[in-house]
Amino acid sequence: MRLLFAALALILGTTPATAQWLDRPWPGIPRTADGKPNLSAPAPHGPDGHPDLTGSWNGPVPEIQFDPANAQPAVNALIRQRQREYHKGRPLYNCLPNGPEADSSAGWKRILQTPAVIAILNDDLSYRVIHMDGRELEANPAPSWTGYSVGRWEGDALIVESNGYNEKTWLSRYGQSHTQALRVKEVFRRRDFGHLEVEVTFTDPGAYTKPWGYTARMELEADTEMLESICERSSDQWQGGAVAADTAVTVAPEVLARYVGVYHGVYGGAKRVIDVTLSGNQLIAKVTGRAEVDGGVIRPLIPQSQTTFDGVGIVYQFVVGDNGVATALVEIHISGPQRFPKQP
Amino acid sequence: MRLFFAALLLVVGTIPAGAQWLDRKTPGIPRTADGKPDLTAPAPRGPGGKPDLTGVWEADNVLGRPDPANLQPWVLELSRERQLEYYKGRPMYQCRPSGPEAERFGGWKRIIQTPAAIAILNDDQTHRFIHTDGRELEPNPAPSWMGYSVGRWDGDTLVVESAGFNDKTWVSRYGVSHTESLRMTERYRRRDFGHMQLEVTFTDPGAFAKPWGFTVDMTLAADTDMLEAICEKSSDAWAGSLSDAANQGVSVAPDVLARYVGVYTGIYGGGERTYEVTASDGKLFAKLLGPPIEGGLGAAGLDDSVPRPLVPQSQTVFEGLGLGYRFVVDDKGGPATALVVIHISGPYTYKRVK
Repeated sequence: MRLLFAALALILGTTPATAQWLDRPWPGIPRTADGKPNLSAPAPHGPDGHPDLTGSWNGPVPEIQFDPANAQPAVNALIRQRQREYHKGRPLYNCLPNGPEADSSAGWKRILQTPAVIAILNDDLSYRVIHMDGRELEANPAPSWTGYSVGRWEGDALIVESNGYNEKTWLSRYGQSHTQALRVKEVFRRRDFGHLEVEVTFTDPGAYTKPWGYTARMELEADTEMLESICERSSDQWQGGAVAADTAVTVAPEVLARYVGVYHGVYGGAKRVIDVTLSGNQLIAKVTGRAEVDGGVIRPLIPQSQTTFDGVGIVYQFVVGDNGVATALVEIHISGPQRFPKQP
Repeated sequence: MRLFFAALLLVVGTIPAGAQWLDRKTPGIPRTADGKPDLTAPAPRGPGGKPDLTGVWEADNVLGRPDPANLQPWVLELSRERQLEYYKGRPMYQCRPSGPEAERFGGWKRIIQTPAAIAILNDDQTHRFIHTDGRELEPNPAPSWMGYSVGRWDGDTLVVESAGFNDKTWVSRYGVSHTESLRMTERYRRRDFGHMQLEVTFTDPGAFAKPWGFTVDMTLAADTDMLEAICEKSSDAWAGSLSDAANQGVSVAPDVLARYVGVYTGIYGGGERTYEVTASDGKLFAKLLGPPIEGGLGAAGLDDSVPRPLVPQSQTVFEGLGLGYRFVVDDKGGPATALVVIHISGPYTYKRVK
């Protein structure tokens, strides 16, 4: 995850959190005896009796439930290509709207609810409008970055249906593409005063055999304020392109074979397993365990020397014995080199 | 204006207006006997009795042309420098938020009003948030692109005060800067169901000697919807500086330049237009005579009475901030007989009169 944040730091300017209503208590919210916001109080309801989702919300990047076997071959090929390009083309990194990307469910947002329309305002200044006035989605919508959304209440759940996306947006930061026929269904539930859950389902038979999705969980950010976070510098100048690496050297297949194996170690206090395999003449690493990287998506290792490889932003150096067989793998990382001994 | 729109087309992708609720009747609005939206019906009011500004609005075009004499010298100088760079650095051309820029008060907006907050959503996927819960502006705000806004009601007028802008935004497309101390006051008055008037005032003694501003008329866009217009390609790849044009390396002898000096008159857009061409220090300059032109000329400046430099591209063709200038000469070596200004809408011939 740290690499991702390092990349983000390159392109996102944030406002210093020194001022601007950041410690202003919200009037009229339920509080516990010690004066803190009572996040487990009942959810508020509007004059029309429906839950009122209005407020500032914040949440972690959701875990997507993605199975490559469920994606069309062309989608999987594009996912791999985008990884080799260090996800340089991700709309967010290009200062373009995220559209339906799962990661846009994370972070700060402000919801403003009125009977006819609900607006979801993001800290990158982008926003969505959900029409609640009973209109239907258009059958043949004009493709757009943020899509078109209509909502309705089913009991205390807000059901939002969206379509009309262009095909430039991704469904997650791992590069899942979609067609213009993508439909997104969201079920918003404000469980109590401080917690909002959103169940998201992507339906797009041209790209995925079965619908798939994720659940986002957000917490109310009371007594503070959302600040803007603007993309000021796109990824245009990134090097990108692991395949095109001019610096790549050739390593003989029998040398590559000596590096194949499973390497164990600890990263940031959590177990990390690096599984190195050979696919044709291409060395591949898969980083799993509690300290996984990119959800265990496979990373091609591009040789930079006979023992050193670039694994999409992480450098892998094989430590070899006299017989040339690797005994350990060193991961050279923004936070320093980490040694992972090979398992017998 | 046409050149301006041509520049916009380069950077803003718009959605074809073929579908998407564009002819859907807005429910619950007053209508005349023939079923059309009654834009002169009384303005709606919210539960608190105050006017409700909620709706999709289309605002008239705005030109933020402050009086050059009211600008602090550094602001005017920067505005002229930016003109010579064809305004390439304008935040909107760079796909950045426009902040308080006057021109961006024109066009489409969606306003959503609740008792404690009002959101103004722009079609370029930016928004503003106006707190109406009684809070005050912070005395020392963290600089931001869109600033911080609080609103209060003065009778039926919503008065919005904003501060905390960073100094990267412009207050007009003519490259007019401001400092981080900029204060913006907006007064929104929804006169009737379909009409709203907005009065905007910029106060920033470090940049402007006196407060200045503009008014905008906004009309309710009923029975249609706002579509997004996303900036997908920034101006980074624009050639964008007059000195680049100068690097063509063409030099024109002073005696040739002298043949082009004179006054030329012709018709543009149905009206008479006159150019005065002068030479000084081996360079040619063109200046418009007469009243300023609405929207300006090519990469217009705040002070179009200032002669614009013409950079030679050949012995007879010159570039002048986005317009081509060609001098028509005969083979006898006498003065040019005409000046042809090459414009996106075609070439226009101006005959020599002096």
